[in-house]
Amino acid sequence: MQVDVQANESPVAPMTVASAPRKNSLRSSRRRALRLGLLFVSPWIAGFLLFFTYPFFATIYYSFTDFNGVGAAHWIGFANYVNLFRDPLFKTSIFNTFYYTAIELPLSTVAALGLALLLNMNARGRAVYRTIFYIPSIVPIVASCMIFVWLFNPAAGIVNDLLIDAHMPSPDWFFSVAWSKPSFILLGLWGLGQPMVIYLAGLQAVPRDMYEVAALDGAGPWQRLRYITLPMISPVIFFNAILQLVLCIAYFTPAQVIESADIGGPGTSTMFYVQYLYEQAFLFLKLGYSSAMAFFLFVMSAVIMVLLFRSSSRWVYYASEQQ
Amino acid sequence: MKDQEGHESYAPGRTSRRRSPRLGWNGHFTSRIAVALAAVTVVGTVGLGTAGGGTAGAVSSTARTPVINLTWMTMWSGATLTLLNKMVTQFNKTHPGIHVTETNIPSVATTSTAKLLSTIAAGDPPDIFTEWWPEIGSFAADGDIVNMNKFLTGPYAGFKKWEYPVAVQAATYKGGLYAVPMSLNSWALYYNTPLLAEFGIKSLPKTLAQFDADQAKMWTFSSGRIVTMGFYPDTDGNGFQFYTSFFGATNCFNKAGKYDFASCPGAQAEMKWIASFDKYSYAQVMALQTDLGFVAGGQTDIFTNGKSGFELSGPWVGAENIPVSNPDLEGHFGVEAFPGIEPKPSTLGQGNFNIIPKGSKHVAQAFEFISWLAGYHNESFVGSIDPAGGWVPAGPSVTKAPAYQTWLKQNSWLKGFLPQMTSPYTQAPLLTPTQAQLFTAENTATADVLQKIMTPAQALKYIDQQANG
Repeated sequence: MQVDVQANESPVAPMTVASAPRKNSLRSSRRRALRLGLLFVSPWIAGFLLFFTYPFFATIYYSFTDFNGVGAAHWIGFANYVNLFRDPLFKTSIFNTFYYTAIELPLSTVAALGLALLLNMNARGRAVYRTIFYIPSIVPIVASCMIFVWLFNPAAGIVNDLLIDAHMPSPDWFFSVAWSKPSFILLGLWGLGQPMVIYLAGLQAVPRDMYEVAALDGAGPWQRLRYITLPMISPVIFFNAILQLVLCIAYFTPAQVIESADIGGPGTSTMFYVQYLYEQAFLFLKLGYSSAMAFFLFVMSAVIMVLLFRSSSRWVYYASEQQ
Repeated sequence: MKDQEGHESYAPGRTSRRRSPRLGWNGHFTSRIAVALAAVTVVGTVGLGTAGGGTAGAVSSTARTPVINLTWMTMWSGATLTLLNKMVTQFNKTHPGIHVTETNIPSVATTSTAKLLSTIAAGDPPDIFTEWWPEIGSFAADGDIVNMNKFLTGPYAGFKKWEYPVAVQAATYKGGLYAVPMSLNSWALYYNTPLLAEFGIKSLPKTLAQFDADQAKMWTFSSGRIVTMGFYPDTDGNGFQFYTSFFGATNCFNKAGKYDFASCPGAQAEMKWIASFDKYSYAQVMALQTDLGFVAGGQTDIFTNGKSGFELSGPWVGAENIPVSNPDLEGHFGVEAFPGIEPKPSTLGQGNFNIIPKGSKHVAQAFEFISWLAGYHNESFVGSIDPAGGWVPAGPSVTKAPAYQTWLKQNSWLKGFLPQMTSPYTQAPLLTPTQAQLFTAENTATADVLQKIMTPAQALKYIDQQANG
């Protein structure tokens, strides 16, 4: 199709003469829109500045002080950071957190994705199964902890009863140094409903015709999974991996509930990083030290996130980018 | 514009403006919504920030009247809270110039401490705060709580002498009195008479060696699970610190004033004794404790359930837990001082302490209230309250009160808790700024020794390292 450039441009030419007042009017309208927009988002901006930006910079400042939460904060330079690396429990808490993350993250990804794949199949009662597998994730976390400790109680729990009946070894679960971290990982796997639903949504967005074409070309179920499903839902896997990673690094509530009630987590076997941070801040009132821990956690998380994002170009497929 | 009943209504002119087609999302109406939203946010935020100011205003307005309002922050719930409310009601009735309001935040010690710190930082702390975790030393060192020495004159000149010595010791930092207990804990050895008889134990052990031998007889198992047990040092979270007075290891410091349990003979003997229980499965004992206790939803433990021959605990077990959880055990248990290596009797000085936070508006009245709660010049009333809570009072004269005497007569086992309160061997850990770290480290070390994660020597070194910060 031929385009009549002159015809297209002609209406514009006279506008240039009279464009100044129009442009001013547009600018004024945009300014008003911007002002309105800022006013509308001001609640969020206020919240962000008050509850994120200020605490963030305050934490950095306090990490260089001996602040105890009440009195004046005295500048002590890098002493808190030096002490961190001399503190054996700091190292223990990092080890425990990485142990949990290294096992929980891949395991929960595989399990949630596996469940989503199963629940995406055309089977009778699919909605019922989806509901059943989602329910644990809406059980309050404290209730989940109590139920798990009870089920896995080595002295009277039903899990060990079944293991004993089956003549299998019965671990001491939450009460054993060797088994306490795996017990928390199991507890984490119980609440897979959230990532499972996200995977399910991702799976349902994969075009059917791709599978049909692949099937016509002779691709089996494994090949379809490997070469169609996984690449197509890789952005969803990436998204879930980031969410799970954040949850793992900041793991706190279940361990705190179980340990503070003296119903598991022997010694320091399940002393996780954020728990230790909390203990330093609110039990020992060393808010300067815990601020240093918090900032270290931020740097550590940021580095891991950067690495993860960098690696994503190798394994995450965005169809829109290919176009 | 308001109608006759005072409700807001639109003026006719305004209604017509609202209908104007010029006013859509881009008009003044939109601007007003946005401005209103922003204003609400600012006002709301400022309102949140000054929520405490409302209380301050209330106090200043009431200050015009002769009544002084005190706030008392505690962390109890259930039956104990009912007792506290009774005490508050009685105080308000007998002290017309002062009105106490109890603020209750049921929580664990750490969160309540955090809440206290928040209120101090916000400039609106309670006048009195009940503290059971050993942070008094830290608060005192940082000047976060009031030194009560200035009140110990006139009618209160004899207050420190009135208290049990251990109550004063546990609350003194660098010569200043920083806390007053409303009740004290005394720890003694409970024993289950029928269970002892079942295992052929005819008389109570007099020495630690006899005790160890007797308790060892009582462990029985079925399919690897505990059926009955003699004694275990870490049930109920009673770690190293609870046995220190029996081994003369409560306060182990070096010449520089640093914690030095590693070189302390009493501490070495105690940790070695704790390690002698590593032949029993820590996990199985804790699992049994959990099964019978917290998760099962009751204030029960292995001893209360009649499955343990001995237990170190306080009077509340006999006064509250057994009658409620296992009445069958009533009349079948006794209490004796623990047979440690120190000449008995002794116990760990500990209790429920009241402190006055920095920023309290009425410190003198606050001290008046907390000394009244302790039972000072109020023996008769506190003597009637303490039995209900299963408490040992802050001062011996309360035990002479008729109600307390009646309680003692009705429950002969209670006598096992009182003699050690005046014993010279009873000690409280000296207040230091790092006492919370010390107690946490002692509990961790106990659990680690019982699980063979640490040797006794390593455990003591660990305690020193953590407690010395």
